Amino acid sequence: MPELHEDITDEDTRIYEFCFLYPATLSQKEEADLLKEVEKTIEETGAKQISKDLWGKRGLAYRIKGHTEGNYVVYHYEMKPRAVIEIDTPLRITPNVLRHIIVKPPKGYEVTNFSEGFVQWLKDRENAVDEKKKEKEERLAARVAEKAKRQVKRVAAKKDEEVAEKPKADKKQISAELDKLISDDDLDI
Amino acid sequence: MVKKPQRRSDPRSKQCPFCEKQVAYIDYKDYPAIKPFIDYFGNIMKRYYTGVCLRHQKMLKNSTERARFMGMMVYRK
Repeated sequence: MPELHEDITDEDTRIYEFCFLYPATLSQKEEADLLKEVEKTIEETGAKQISKDLWGKRGLAYRIKGHTEGNYVVYHYEMKPRAVIEIDTPLRITPNVLRHIIVKPPKGYEVTNFSEGFVQWLKDRENAVDEKKKEKEERLAARVAEKAKRQVKRVAAKKDEEVAEKPKADKKQISAELDKLISDDDLDI
Repeated sequence: MVKKPQRRSDPRSKQCPFCEKQVAYIDYKDYPAIKPFIDYFGNIMKRYYTGVCLRHQKMLKNSTERARFMGMMVYRK
């Protein structure tokens, strides 16, 4: 709810922000009627429209009157502060309006379209999730490849060992040769 | 093996993420900006953990409550 100060004169005008939430199940005609009605109630007090921003369908964080999806509209109006109180009640009893909020933006507030940013953010988030998945798969593939390499190496090493194993020399032959060497008198050890 | 004692970073050394960007107003419509300061259950996280300064924490509280009312954010998950 906007705060009002006592010393405000009727000539002062300020910028107010209106945000409305209405169900996404409305038909096009109903939607147009609703917006027209809302605009009419606000403009009856002599307010000037500065901007209008339709957000489109968006999921709700929790159920509101059985609805899980809703549409948002954001208006900026230049109007007298005293008129805000008069407007608030009629807006609350307007049919099909699930929620409405009136905010006084701070000085130097720039009107920005947050719906586009939100959509972009959702996309970025999805991309981030996808990238994570891809990274995980790549890591898994790398691990599998490494394991296969190691196995190949192990098999090769086993083969080398088998080749390296020399045939055992005959014991008798060795002893005979040794005897020959020992009995050799020419050797001077 | 001797385990090293786990050390938390000094909370005083944290910088306010809003002050770094020189944020003057946190908009309740800007969901991606508020989201990082809300935990899994939908509660606003403590200043101790996020490092937000008091000025911005109050703004954050305001915008979060507005966003909750408008159905953009959960009250409790």
